[in-house]
Amino acid sequence: MFTLPGVTAQSAVAERPAVQEAVAPRRRRARLPLLNLAVSAVVSAAVLYAAFFPASGLPALGPAFNPTTGAWTMAADAQVTDLSLRLAGLQQPVKVVLEQDGTAHARFRLFQMDLMRRQGAGRLSEVVGKAALDSDRFELQLGLLRTARLEWGQISQRLGEPLVAYAQGVNDRIAEAESAHQLDPMFTLLGYKPQPWTPVDSLLVKGDMTQTLNFTDTPLVMALLNKSLGADLASEWFPVLPPNVQALYDLGPYGRPSIAPIASGGLVSDAEAASASTLLTRLESLPAGLVSKGGASNNWAVAGARSASGGALLAGDPHLHLTLPSIWFQLTMDSPSYHAAGVSIPGTPVVLIGHNEHIAWSLTDAQNQQTFFYVEQEDRNHPGQYYWKGSWQPYEDVTYDIPVLGGATEHLTVKQTVHGPVIGERGQTTSVWWAGNVPSWDLQVLLDVDRASNWREFRTALRGWLSPTHNFVYADDAGNIGLISAGYFPQVAKGQPWLPMPGTGEYDVVGTIPFDDIPQVYNPPDHIIWSANQRQVTKDYPYYIGTASNFFDPGYRADEIRRVLSQPGKLSASDMQALQTDTHDFLGAEIVPVLLQTLAKAKLNAQETAAVRLLSTWDDRMEMNSAAATIWDRFWTSYLDETFKPWWKSRSVKVDMGELTDALGQDLETWTLHDPTNRAFSAPGVGSRTATDAQTSAFRKAISALARQLGSDPNAWTWGRVHARELENLAQVSGLSYGPRAERGDANTPLAAGGDPSTHGPSWRMVVDWGAHMFQGIYPGGQSENPASSWYTDRVDTWWDGRLNPMLSAEEASAAPGIRTWSMHP
Amino acid sequence: MRLYLAILVAGLAALAGVLLGWWWAPFPIGIAAGVVMARARVAIPIAGAIGLLSWLVPLAAAQVRYGLGPTAASLAAIMGFGHLAVVPAILTLLVGALLGLAGGWLGSAARAVVASNARVDAARNG
Repeated sequence: MFTLPGVTAQSAVAERPAVQEAVAPRRRRARLPLLNLAVSAVVSAAVLYAAFFPASGLPALGPAFNPTTGAWTMAADAQVTDLSLRLAGLQQPVKVVLEQDGTAHARFRLFQMDLMRRQGAGRLSEVVGKAALDSDRFELQLGLLRTARLEWGQISQRLGEPLVAYAQGVNDRIAEAESAHQLDPMFTLLGYKPQPWTPVDSLLVKGDMTQTLNFTDTPLVMALLNKSLGADLASEWFPVLPPNVQALYDLGPYGRPSIAPIASGGLVSDAEAASASTLLTRLESLPAGLVSKGGASNNWAVAGARSASGGALLAGDPHLHLTLPSIWFQLTMDSPSYHAAGVSIPGTPVVLIGHNEHIAWSLTDAQNQQTFFYVEQEDRNHPGQYYWKGSWQPYEDVTYDIPVLGGATEHLTVKQTVHGPVIGERGQTTSVWWAGNVPSWDLQVLLDVDRASNWREFRTALRGWLSPTHNFVYADDAGNIGLISAGYFPQVAKGQPWLPMPGTGEYDVVGTIPFDDIPQVYNPPDHIIWSANQRQVTKDYPYYIGTASNFFDPGYRADEIRRVLSQPGKLSASDMQALQTDTHDFLGAEIVPVLLQTLAKAKLNAQETAAVRLLSTWDDRMEMNSAAATIWDRFWTSYLDETFKPWWKSRSVKVDMGELTDALGQDLETWTLHDPTNRAFSAPGVGSRTATDAQTSAFRKAISALARQLGSDPNAWTWGRVHARELENLAQVSGLSYGPRAERGDANTPLAAGGDPSTHGPSWRMVVDWGAHMFQGIYPGGQSENPASSWYTDRVDTWWDGRLNPMLSAEEASAAPGIRTWSMHP
Repeated sequence: MRLYLAILVAGLAALAGVLLGWWWAPFPIGIAAGVVMARARVAIPIAGAIGLLSWLVPLAAAQVRYGLGPTAASLAAIMGFGHLAVVPAILTLLVGALLGLAGGWLGSAARAVVASNARVDAARNG
């Protein structure tokens, strides 16, 4: 019986109260263990799920963090010890000497190699999920995998054997690392194991590099500029030949008379512009590195006649995305057939830049146009076909499955035309002809270069080089120097190749410039040669090789290099080293005197006067402690904005002006020096102006902005406060990047450091002095991709200070202190 | 005495499993501990401790042999914890401990169900 206030009730079971009261709690007690079991089972399931399966961005915690086989093995992997290995693929015993450099790619860079082949093969989504799907779709459309497979299918025994042997070595290392639980921790954290390496993977890695350096979207950009600015302004501001004076290296005479001139003018239609805009948006949303955004590299050579040591000098510093780990791996190959030292790209069995016993070489990107876009003509009556050379052709379809981590497999169909793959179908169907899709045996060329012993053999080897086109600089032990822009220089039958062209056949790529006619020079009379991505040849060169805007560099680094090398007196290796870290801004040296003249007539406030004083005593060097360097940099940006932004606004230009500063800067430089009343200064809405008006206004705005950002004292506006460099982790893990750290230089100085923070720059510096038999090099980073290793960033400080390390021969390395040796036996 | 011996054997078995790469070993060992030991309040913490230690000992050995500072810092960066090197270490030990705890709890709970059923049967039978 129980009682509620005001109510009294009789229990329904009042007849058997004793029994009922005893059984109910017992049942409850019997249920409790079951409930406990159920809850413990659920909790156990949750713990096991989190341990066995990745979730919420975390890896599977068990395999990832277990202390014996998980990511903690990174600590053991960071140690490099003497080893004796038995490798099935070896024919002869091999000794690998690891001094502070280390050697074997797969031992130190396996994850990097796997990422690179996955990128080219469109298989990143398989391990990182749908975030990489756009990249995978694009890579499969573009066709690196198809080209690599085609190349492997047609490969010669001479190249096939080294690629197979290389793959065998990588796979031996994978097996060893798996059995010792020392795979890179990124594999563990991402929860996958590397597949065996194949020769096609090496060809894919080479394809990645080609894409990074020469797959461009410039014709799409030009189409939008043409549409918005009009054909007149577009051709005037973005001409084929550079408007400014540049330091060209091949002045002619050239081998054959001029072919038919390239037509200019002609307006892009609305449909073409809309299609270009859509495709450009897609390309610009892709991860960095898939579309080339202009190169920046330096190389030069000095003949023995101008050298203090009496031997030829060579210097090279290719400028690339600076990553940790670096794109480069330094090695010395010493075998009965090869004696080459330098840097290689992990995944490929060749020295790309370096020296052997007789010659040294380095390279810069030649920048000529190797990407052409075609608008395919279609018709509703001919579905699945395009019109070409008078008839309807069927698209060839290739299908792919893209596995996606945590999602459904994506099915992709790629349509191919005679020009190449279709990469845009919104609006008009656009296909792309890209030199990187021409099957090549460039790795064989590099193996031959590694073995060349004189200019004739070097040049003969380079006859087979296709893409990307490079300026190969050369110096040998006999005091000779040379430079040759080896590679494919595509020629179209007619039309404007800097714009998307009709795909109907009349505008197709019909061939390339004959090898003997490509830009080249050997032992020039002034005993110096140089290249820095500038146009190589004069206006008399009879072939189209690309436009001044966006293909070739504006030339200020080349100007500075020529200026320094042309000074009287003998040059030494230390002069080469100093020039590689030269911060003299050639453009600033040209423009600042003009600006000071302009400002001398203007009424200035105290802050502006102080800034003028700083500029008037500036040595034109972008040094970290220089306030004038900051004022110059901000003035130039403001001057570009002052001149061009009103045009961009009034003409609704859809291309980001920041992407075009090289091209527009050449124009502005030329007008400032030679044409100060150019109509460009009088944009719609700003009235009639001259260069002087624009400079004064831009200067005032720059000083005002600097005062707001850095305080009122111009002396405190030092370059190091606003300019830094960062070495970015390859897997985009910001905590594993280096920097940002204050840095000197800018985009125009030989010490290239454009952008803020600058993430591109000298990825490898090499200086060779054949007279002193001295070989030196350095790259920013370290040989190991393991962030726990002391070899992850051990070279950064040396590089940052502009110093170089000796490039040791195998014999020298064997005798170096602190070395580790791996002895490998068949 | 037998209890301590059993705990020692269980701990060594879990450690051996982890050293062999069977990182999940603390879980079944924990279940066994929960089933064998009569009192859950004892069995579950002991299973947790076994899990913790079987993951801690190899980690400590690696620390002595190689030094784990740079590795812990790198893992923290990869996981998005900046330079908080202690986070991956704590997470690692937490996984080991949780495997043991979960196993111990599950084993104890199973034992309790069996014991409860036995009591009910005994009560019914008189």
